[in-house]
Amino acid sequence: MALMGWLDGKTAQLVGESPAIAAALAGQGATLVREGNCDVLVHVAVPTLARPAHELSHAEWRAALDIGVDQRFLLARAFAAMCRAERRGGAIVYVGAPEQALGSDHAAAAGALGNLTKTLGVEWARDGIRVNTVLTREAGETLGNIVAYLASDYAAYVTGAVMGVGLDD
Amino acid sequence: MPVPSHHIIAVPPPFAEPPYPANIFAGQTVLVSGGGSGMGLAMARAFAQGGASVAVMGRNLEKAQAAARELAALGASAHGMSCDVRLPEQVAAAFDEAERILGPVTLLANNAGANFPVLAEDISVNAWNAVTRIAIDGTFLCSSEFARRRIARGEGGAIINNSAQYIWTGFPGDAHSAAAKTAQATMTKAMARDWAPYRIRVNAVAAGFFPHESSTAGQHEGGPESLQGMIPAGRTGSIHEFGWLAAMTCTPMLAGMTGQVIVQDGGESLRRSLMMPDFIPPRERAEGPWGWR
Repeated sequence: MALMGWLDGKTAQLVGESPAIAAALAGQGATLVREGNCDVLVHVAVPTLARPAHELSHAEWRAALDIGVDQRFLLARAFAAMCRAERRGGAIVYVGAPEQALGSDHAAAAGALGNLTKTLGVEWARDGIRVNTVLTREAGETLGNIVAYLASDYAAYVTGAVMGVGLDD
Repeated sequence: MPVPSHHIIAVPPPFAEPPYPANIFAGQTVLVSGGGSGMGLAMARAFAQGGASVAVMGRNLEKAQAAARELAALGASAHGMSCDVRLPEQVAAAFDEAERILGPVTLLANNAGANFPVLAEDISVNAWNAVTRIAIDGTFLCSSEFARRRIARGEGGAIINNSAQYIWTGFPGDAHSAAAKTAQATMTKAMARDWAPYRIRVNAVAAGFFPHESSTAGQHEGGPESLQGMIPAGRTGSIHEFGWLAAMTCTPMLAGMTGQVIVQDGGESLRRSLMMPDFIPPRERAEGPWGWR
């Protein structure tokens, strides 16, 4: 649908699984890379199981926070360091489930991620690095397209934004 | 303060390179309220770039018609109309006129609004009513008129509302607009829910600072250029990138998106530091309630 080369000439690393996002990034002209220097970092977290807090072990809790926020922070920091070393900007897009869609572990991670997004968006603004988050239950074309938009220069004035896709996001 | 040259500033593609093909809105008609100038005109131009017919509605007929001529020069069918969006009969008449000339209105951009720096105690009842009712009642009246027509035809549609980046923080020195713009954002979500069964999508852009000829901030001494440094992104917004995002939410590319408020402000609304400059109440600001005039 309407592929316009938003990401022509750019390299993108997609961490995590999302066929719709992979298709949209590639469809808009990005070259997907598995590691190394790139212009765009998209991180998709695997949804955790929704379970009551009193049934979660600490290890399970920790695993959800690790994928939902810790890994995302560390990857972003490495990405930003690489951008700065190369004297160029970049775009980071985080994707996950809405804050209240799953269990308390996810709620904690998603809330942390939202304010991390706002923080890094400002902290790295003058490095030309934008940071945005999509928290949604959707997995289809619209998700792919909004992520590709946020990754592209068309979203040059969008940073620190946290948004959903569908009505219940 | 000028932006230091070693800072990296993200910039959008030029106006001639829109993010969607020239026929993405082919066969569709958009009605843009407050479309005669500024951000409304930017939305109108963006829809025109995607092949929509554009009904430009404004309080000032001459400006609306001039905007329509500008859109026609971009190749769009366009029609300028005057309307006071606070009056339901005028809104219905404007939809009738637009549909008679351009065909069924399938998309709606709510931009009509007014805004100026003023202390809360100095806002006259008339000014309060004008600013809040143009945005709040105007958005309700235009959106509900649009929805009734779409529902009657059994067809979906899309609405985009122009909200503002200060809807979460308050806006001291601008109480009327602070209230009005947040109402637009919260009604965006409620209307999205009301009309989802009818495949009418409703979204908003919480827009930052996009200087244009008719913006109060555009009148700042030294022009908007001197204000670039106050934004984390290192620049004020280019008005065409606002128009594009607004129009893009109405494309099939984002067919699954509804009830969303997307902030596009270069990080302006976000906190920059734990420590802040000393607080000066708007009443005591030497440069006026917004702090710069």
